[in-house]
Amino acid sequence: MATNQLGTFDKVMIYTSTGLILLGVVVLGIVEMLDGPPYVAEKTNQAGDVIATGGVDPAIRTGLVIAGVALLMLYGLYKLTAPDSGAAETVR
Amino acid sequence: MAHDAADSTVGEFDIRLAHPVAVYWVALLRVITGWWFFHSGLSKVLSDGFAYSYGWRYLRGMGDTVLGPLATWMGYNFPQVIEVMVPLGEMLIGLGLLAGVLVRLASLFGMFFMSLFWVGNADFNHGLVNGDLMGLLMFATMIVLAAGRYYGLDAVIEQTQFVKDHPRLRYLLG
Repeated sequence: MATNQLGTFDKVMIYTSTGLILLGVVVLGIVEMLDGPPYVAEKTNQAGDVIATGGVDPAIRTGLVIAGVALLMLYGLYKLTAPDSGAAETVR
Repeated sequence: MAHDAADSTVGEFDIRLAHPVAVYWVALLRVITGWWFFHSGLSKVLSDGFAYSYGWRYLRGMGDTVLGPLATWMGYNFPQVIEVMVPLGEMLIGLGLLAGVLVRLASLFGMFFMSLFWVGNADFNHGLVNGDLMGLLMFATMIVLAAGRYYGLDAVIEQTQFVKDHPRLRYLLG
């Protein structure tokens, strides 16, 4: 299905969920880079201890991504249970 | 016809130009992802049986992560279930992808596993995008592309009358 064939609800769900993922990974990644060293979310030593953290708490970034993934999963469950589910799916 | 920047398959471009290679490639990715999980589960079974005690200990240690409430709840309340379901779940997810059966359902559980691994391992020394996140995205890709339809048994299953009578099953197959 082309993106311009998606309904309003589909677009809201897809753009919101992927937007959350991009916000957590890319946008806050840029913020972290601009904030200065260590340029990564966490720096650990060989023992696994965190010795430096980036400008953005990794919990915030992973939380945004997980929220996006969870929203995508909910969208999938909605598609499974919606009354017209499967109508737009084509089998090759 | 005007070009749609959001979807190059609309108008003069046609995704079928890459079809033979793309189909094979999607199937290859599915099989490799399947083997990845099947091997992980099988190796746990061969070494610990269905008593993978590291699973619930791992979940209990995720308390300070963003998935902490869910992980610790599972780790403290269902340790015996976790011991069985980690290796068994990994093997079933892997088998599903290898054979191309119920790929979307299997990949949904794969995304759940990888979400826990990505957040729990927290291997962010080289940034937030690491192998665990790529694994999570790989499972999502299997769902979006309906990877089981390419050299997978879901292509056969979806042709059965039962699935044609219940088309929403294609959201679990495919």
